[in-house]
Amino acid sequence: MACRGGAGNGHRASATLSRVSPGSLYTCRTRTHNICMVSDFFYPNMGGVESHIYQLSQCLIERGHKVIIVTHAYGNRKGIRYLTSGLKVYYLPLKVMYNQSTATTLFHSLPLLRYIFVRERVTIIHSHSSFSAMAHDALFHAKTMGLQTVFTDHSLFGFADVSSVLTNKLLTVSLCDTNHIICVSYTSKENTVLRAALNPEIVSVIPNAVDPTDFTPDPFRRHDSITIVVVSRLVYRKGIDLLSGIIPELCQKYPDLNFIIGGEGPKRIILEEVRERYQLHDRVRLLGALEHKDVRNVLVQGHIFLNTSLTEAFCMAIVEAASCGLQVVSTRVGGIPEVLPENLIILCEPSVKSLCEGLEKAIFQLKSGTLPAPENIHNIVKTFYTWRNVAERTEKVYDRVSVEAVLPMDKRLDRLISHCGPVTGYIFALLAVFNFLFLIFLRWMTPDSIIDVAIDATGPRGAWTNNYSHSKRGGENNEISETR
Amino acid sequence: MYAQPVTNTKEVKWQKVLYERQPFPDNYVDRRFLEELRKNIHARKYQYWAVVFESSVVIQQLCSVCVFVVIWWYMDEGLLAPHWLLGTGLASSLIGYVLFDLIDGGEGRKKSGQTRWADLKSALVFITFTYGFSPVLKTLTESVSTDTIYAMSVFMLLGHLIFFDYGANAAIVSSTLSLNMAIFASVCLASRLPRSLHAFIMVTFAIQIFALWPMLQKKLKACTPRSYVGVTLLFAFSAVGGLLSISAVGAVLFALLLMSISCLCPFYLIRLQLFKENIHGPWDEAEIKEDLSRFLS
Repeated sequence: MACRGGAGNGHRASATLSRVSPGSLYTCRTRTHNICMVSDFFYPNMGGVESHIYQLSQCLIERGHKVIIVTHAYGNRKGIRYLTSGLKVYYLPLKVMYNQSTATTLFHSLPLLRYIFVRERVTIIHSHSSFSAMAHDALFHAKTMGLQTVFTDHSLFGFADVSSVLTNKLLTVSLCDTNHIICVSYTSKENTVLRAALNPEIVSVIPNAVDPTDFTPDPFRRHDSITIVVVSRLVYRKGIDLLSGIIPELCQKYPDLNFIIGGEGPKRIILEEVRERYQLHDRVRLLGALEHKDVRNVLVQGHIFLNTSLTEAFCMAIVEAASCGLQVVSTRVGGIPEVLPENLIILCEPSVKSLCEGLEKAIFQLKSGTLPAPENIHNIVKTFYTWRNVAERTEKVYDRVSVEAVLPMDKRLDRLISHCGPVTGYIFALLAVFNFLFLIFLRWMTPDSIIDVAIDATGPRGAWTNNYSHSKRGGENNEISETR
Repeated sequence: MYAQPVTNTKEVKWQKVLYERQPFPDNYVDRRFLEELRKNIHARKYQYWAVVFESSVVIQQLCSVCVFVVIWWYMDEGLLAPHWLLGTGLASSLIGYVLFDLIDGGEGRKKSGQTRWADLKSALVFITFTYGFSPVLKTLTESVSTDTIYAMSVFMLLGHLIFFDYGANAAIVSSTLSLNMAIFASVCLASRLPRSLHAFIMVTFAIQIFALWPMLQKKLKACTPRSYVGVTLLFAFSAVGGLLSISAVGAVLFALLLMSISCLCPFYLIRLQLFKENIHGPWDEAEIKEDLSRFLS
C-alpha cells in the first residue's frame, strides 16, 4: 500500500513538473544523477572533509540531483537522518577502530551497502578521503555491483616510510579501476597520480571552497594594535613548533604586537611554556578548541593570519582568513602556493627565520598602509572559490563517468593483476572474486526485485524538491489549481 | 563533452594556480605535469670495490670468531700446549701494542692522554685478577651440562657478531654488549678445558682477539688501508687453514660464507641500487631543521 501510494505521488509530481516545464530548472539538463557520498568522516565529526561533503551535497541537490550520504554511526547517532533540503544520511552501525575510521574486513559492509544502493537506486558512488576505510570498501563493492565510482582525495601523503608504502599500495588497489578521481589541488593531483600509479587524465582538479557569507570582515571588532591570528589544530603537522619560535622573536621586536591562537592539541603545552617563559600572558591569548561557527569572530579580530603547516593539500584556513580581510602569511608547502594570488599571501620557507621575515614584511605593509582594505580583499576572494562552482565542476565529472562503461569482472581482474603488481594484484583479484560470489549469494537470498525502493527526498522526484518547487512557484501552483 | 580551449590571437598558457578560471578542462594534463618531481636526491651512489673494502670489517670479525673456536678446539683436544699459546699471545700483544703507536705516529696517544705506565698497570691488574679467578672460572659451570654450555656459547658468539660496531650507524650496535657476549662465551668454553691454567689462557686470548685486535684493525683501516687489506686476507686464510685442519667440510662452508659476504653481497647491493626510486616533490611534508628548544631553555 505504501509503495503504491509512493508511486502515485511520483506520478503526480511528474505530471506537475511536465506542466510547468517552460520555467523548470530540471528540463534544462539532459540528465540527473543518483549520487551516494561515502566516507567515515561526516557530521557530527568536524573537519575539512566533513564540511566538503555537506556543502557539495547541498549544491548538487540545488542543481537537481539526488544525493544521499553514507557514514558510520557516531555514538548514539545511528540510523537515518534528514538534513537541510532533504539530504538523507545513513549512519551505519559499523564499529569504529581508530580516529573515526571504521575497521574493515572488506566483506562485512557489503550486505548493508548493497541494500542502500538498491533501495536508493544509486548510480554513482562518490567516496571521500584516502584514510576512510568505509570509502574504499564502498568503492570495492560498487565495482562488484557494476556501479560508477568517483573518489575525492583530500590530503597529501609521502613515499618514504612503511606506513606510506602500505597506504599507497592500498590506494593503488582501490583506484586502479575507479572511473574518476578528484583532487583539491594540482599538487594533490601529482601526489595522487604517483601514489596510485594513475593515468593523469582520469584525475580532475576541483578545489575546495568557502562560503563567503560566513567569512566577512568586521572593522569594528578589529583590534587597535597589530594582531596575528593562528587558527589550527595544535599538532606537529601544523608546524606549531615553528610558532613556538616565532612568538618570542616577534614579541621582543614589536612591543605592541599581539597573538591570538585558536585550536586545541598536544602541542598546546609548548605554547604555554613559551608564554610562561617570556611573560607574554597579556599579549598571547590561547583560546583552546573553537567551534567552527566561532572561527569567523576570531579571525576578524586580527590583521594578519599566520599558517605554519608543514603539509597541506589545499588549506581552507587561509581562504577563510583572506575572506575575512586578513593579510595571510603562510609556509610554502604542498598546494598552498596555488590557493591565493601573490598580492594576498606572503609565502615563506618553513623555518622560523623565514616566517619571521614574512611577518615583518606584512607588519611593515600594514603600518605603511599599503595593504588593501579588508572589504576589498573580501570582494576579491569571494569570487575565487564557491561551492556552486565546485558542484558545477563535479557535475561534469559525473556526466563524464556516467557514459563510461563499468569494467566487467574479467577486465577488472586483469586490471588488478596488471596494475597492482604480481602479489598484491592476485590477492585482491581473489578477494574481488570472493566479493562477487558473496554478492551472488546475497542476490539469491534477497533478490533485488523484492527490496523496497525508498521514497526520494531529493532529486527530480524528491518529496522535498516538490515542496521547495511549490513554495517557490506559489502563483503557478494556484494557476494549476484553478485549471483543475 | 569538454569544450576545446578557446585560442585568441595568442595561445593561453596553463598555470598551476587554483584561484583563476582557466579555459582548460579539470582533467587537463599540461606538459609541466610533475615538473617538480625529484628522484634520489639524497641517495648515495656506491662503488663496488668501496663496498667490498667496507665489508672486510665483517670478514675480520667472522675470522676472529673462527680462530677463537679453532684455538679452543685444539686446547680441548690437548693438541696445543697452553704455555705456547700464552707466550705467543703475549708476544703478539706486545707487537700489536708497538704497532698501535707506530701506525699513527703517536697522535692517538697524545690525544687520549693515556700513558704507557697506565696501560701496563691495566694489563697487570687484568692478568692478576684473571689468573686469581681462573679456578672459579674452571668450576663455575661444572653442574651445567656440556650441551647447554655449547648452545650458550654459540648464541653468545652470534650475539657478539650481531651487536658489533662495523662502522655503520645502526640502532642495535653496542660495543659493550658485543664484547661482554664474547667474554661470556669464552668463559663458558673455558670451563670445559682440563685445568684452570687453560681457562686463564683462554680468557686472556679472548680479550686479545675480541677487544685488542679490532682496535688495532680499526686504526690500521683508517691510516693504512692497503696493509689493512693484506692483513685481512692473511687473517682470513689463517682462519680457513685452521678450520681445514679440523674439518674440510667446515672449511669449505666457511670459505663460501666469506666469499659471499665480501663479493656477492656488495654485488647484490650495487644491483639493487638500480631499482631505487626515492620520490620527492612539493607534496612532501616539510622538515623543521633548526633546533627550536632554545626558545624554551
